[in-house]
Amino acid sequence: MDLQSLTGDDLTLPQAQIESAEFRLPPPKTVGLKIPKASIKATSYTFPEAPARGQASCLPGASSSTAVAGTRAAGRPGTTRLKPARDIVKLADRLYYLLQPPLELLLASDELHFPFAPFPYQYQGVAFLYPRYSAILADEMGLGKTMQAITAVRMLVRSGEIRSVLLICPKPLVTNWKREFGLWAPEIPLAVIEGDQTRRHWQWRQEGVPVKIANYELLMRDREVLDETLHFDLVILDEAQRIKNTGSSTHQVATAIARTRNWALTGTPIENSPDDLVGIFEFLSPGYLRPGMTPKRLAELCKDYILRRTKEMVLADMPPKLFRDAELDLTPDQRATYEIAENEGVVHLNELGDSITIQHVFELVLRLKQICNFDPLTGASSKLERLEADLEEVAASGKKAIVFSQWVKSLAVLKEKLQQFGPLEYHGQIPSKQRDPVLKQFKEDKSKHVILMSYGAGAVGLNLQFCEYVFLFDRWWNPAIEDQAINRAHRLGTAGPVTVTRMLSLATIEERINQILEHKRALFDTVIGQTAAPASLGLTHDDIFGLFNLRTPKGPIHAAA
Amino acid sequence: MSAAAKSAAIGFLTAVEHHDFGICGGYLILNAAGRPLEFHCTAPVLASRALEILYGPTLRESLYEQIAPALLGKAKVAPVLVCTDLPLMVAAAPASDVPLVLVLAGGAEQRDEEQSFALGKNRAAASGGAMHPDVEDRWRHLGADQFDLLEPFVRIREALEEAQRAATSKSAA
Repeated sequence: MDLQSLTGDDLTLPQAQIESAEFRLPPPKTVGLKIPKASIKATSYTFPEAPARGQASCLPGASSSTAVAGTRAAGRPGTTRLKPARDIVKLADRLYYLLQPPLELLLASDELHFPFAPFPYQYQGVAFLYPRYSAILADEMGLGKTMQAITAVRMLVRSGEIRSVLLICPKPLVTNWKREFGLWAPEIPLAVIEGDQTRRHWQWRQEGVPVKIANYELLMRDREVLDETLHFDLVILDEAQRIKNTGSSTHQVATAIARTRNWALTGTPIENSPDDLVGIFEFLSPGYLRPGMTPKRLAELCKDYILRRTKEMVLADMPPKLFRDAELDLTPDQRATYEIAENEGVVHLNELGDSITIQHVFELVLRLKQICNFDPLTGASSKLERLEADLEEVAASGKKAIVFSQWVKSLAVLKEKLQQFGPLEYHGQIPSKQRDPVLKQFKEDKSKHVILMSYGAGAVGLNLQFCEYVFLFDRWWNPAIEDQAINRAHRLGTAGPVTVTRMLSLATIEERINQILEHKRALFDTVIGQTAAPASLGLTHDDIFGLFNLRTPKGPIHAAA
Repeated sequence: MSAAAKSAAIGFLTAVEHHDFGICGGYLILNAAGRPLEFHCTAPVLASRALEILYGPTLRESLYEQIAPALLGKAKVAPVLVCTDLPLMVAAAPASDVPLVLVLAGGAEQRDEEQSFALGKNRAAASGGAMHPDVEDRWRHLGADQFDLLEPFVRIREALEEAQRAATSKSAA
């Protein structure tokens, strides 16, 4: 518009027209967000010890304040945990073992008393065996494979996990197993399969006896019974290297036994070749290993199944000298000869009347002791059988042993019988010039695993620290002389602990002599408080007469022991 | 051990936290000899991002509040006492007739001397001071003075790891 052309009337402002518009936002939409909760999925496992469903636990009565988990039985607290074996697949079963208390607590709470407190490595051995259905305990000889196996069996029997156990061992070791069960699991009934066929067949089927012990030879004879309906919750093979040859009938019979769990005990799982292990595994887990596998592959596959400790590995736990008492029954031949000799000998001594001297008694003692070594008629010897079994392990481990006897004649028999171990002799009948070369050869020649020594020749002036095993084939009259002999192998600076096996024939003059000597040693220890026995702890005049309840010229002598 | 003592049970409640998997709860019930009667465990509980934002710093407490009753409610055997080694569990557990005690680790003993009490060879704190006399009474009747109350938690943790390994290998198969 041109302002200069406007008239006055035109100056009136046009009336503004106002239009109102009402603006309203739409109401906000609200959304309710529910705060989510994390989803909780819980899984439950109930174990065999749990009470029946619905049964609540209760508060013990006020007067029942018994310590529940003390260490009174096992002796020391510890933390040896059970671990499930790899071949246990089911999670519930794996958790069952993982959730068990430490072994020491478990043993204490079950009030399992032990004659001696086990070493820590032995607890580990028990913890290894307990959860395993297939296992090889391959500890070096002398470390207590027997005790570890028995304790694991004891726990399994007491917890109700197993009810029938068959232990198979070499015949010379049957007595030892029986004795060890009596020592480490005295409450568990056991039966030794023995006697004629009728008796044995009855024993195989006998109920209420959780543990049965049989020897390998019997196994062969009773294979028909085993092939039938017998089943064992656990079969243990002692000296399991005996089944390493898969073609042998021993292997076939052992592997045919119906069973749920299998354990093998051996100090030498591999004697000649890695395939030895394959043979043993055919018993444990058929087909798991194959012949010809590389050692590396074998080691990989066997890792979870084998526990092997040497003395060096557990040195810290071990005493410098470890004593094993091999208490053996005479063979039937020996027993028959022994009974005749003792009866006739005692009659003869009584007939001597007042003219009897200690020399007369001594002669009878010597004669009986010799029969305990070997039957003079047949050469039978339970000690030799045991010694051979033990030396097999010593030799297979590349170790060396000393065998002591008081008779050169016994040593000569041993030399003949132990040819496979390359025996050397060292006694009074070996010319002085030859003695040093013998010792040198024993030390350096790897094929010579055993030296046969008389107490007299081997007791002083020798150092044989490279020997880890000492066998006392018969016992000397005085423990101090035995100690000297043992110390040939055990001296300061010795490479490792020495295992001393003391052989003793049960229910014979040897046992009576041993009881007297042990009694004297115990008395000395109690009074003096020392463990080293002095030379005076040997047999006295009265002790020797007392061995046969004889009257001496001076009057009656009390029975020994 | 008397028959009554043998039938007594004691519970152990704990959890392990894993950065990737989350929280796993475990509840073990032992008899007076220390043998396992029951074990209950949760699958790993991992909070979502939404939960993390919404719960903020209270997230862990919230998760424990869900884990504890889920586990305790599964038990068939009623223990005379429940132990935990986690303060969070004490706060999270629902009210119950069965006392819940916090077993103190070795290092905490001195610090909590005034608020704690002896339970056998361990020291413990009860969930609420009023519970204290009842706990001691129950413990005395249990007669478990030699029991190391921290040891079962080691078992639970191992069991939870085992369960987790099994679940992982199962899902990988």
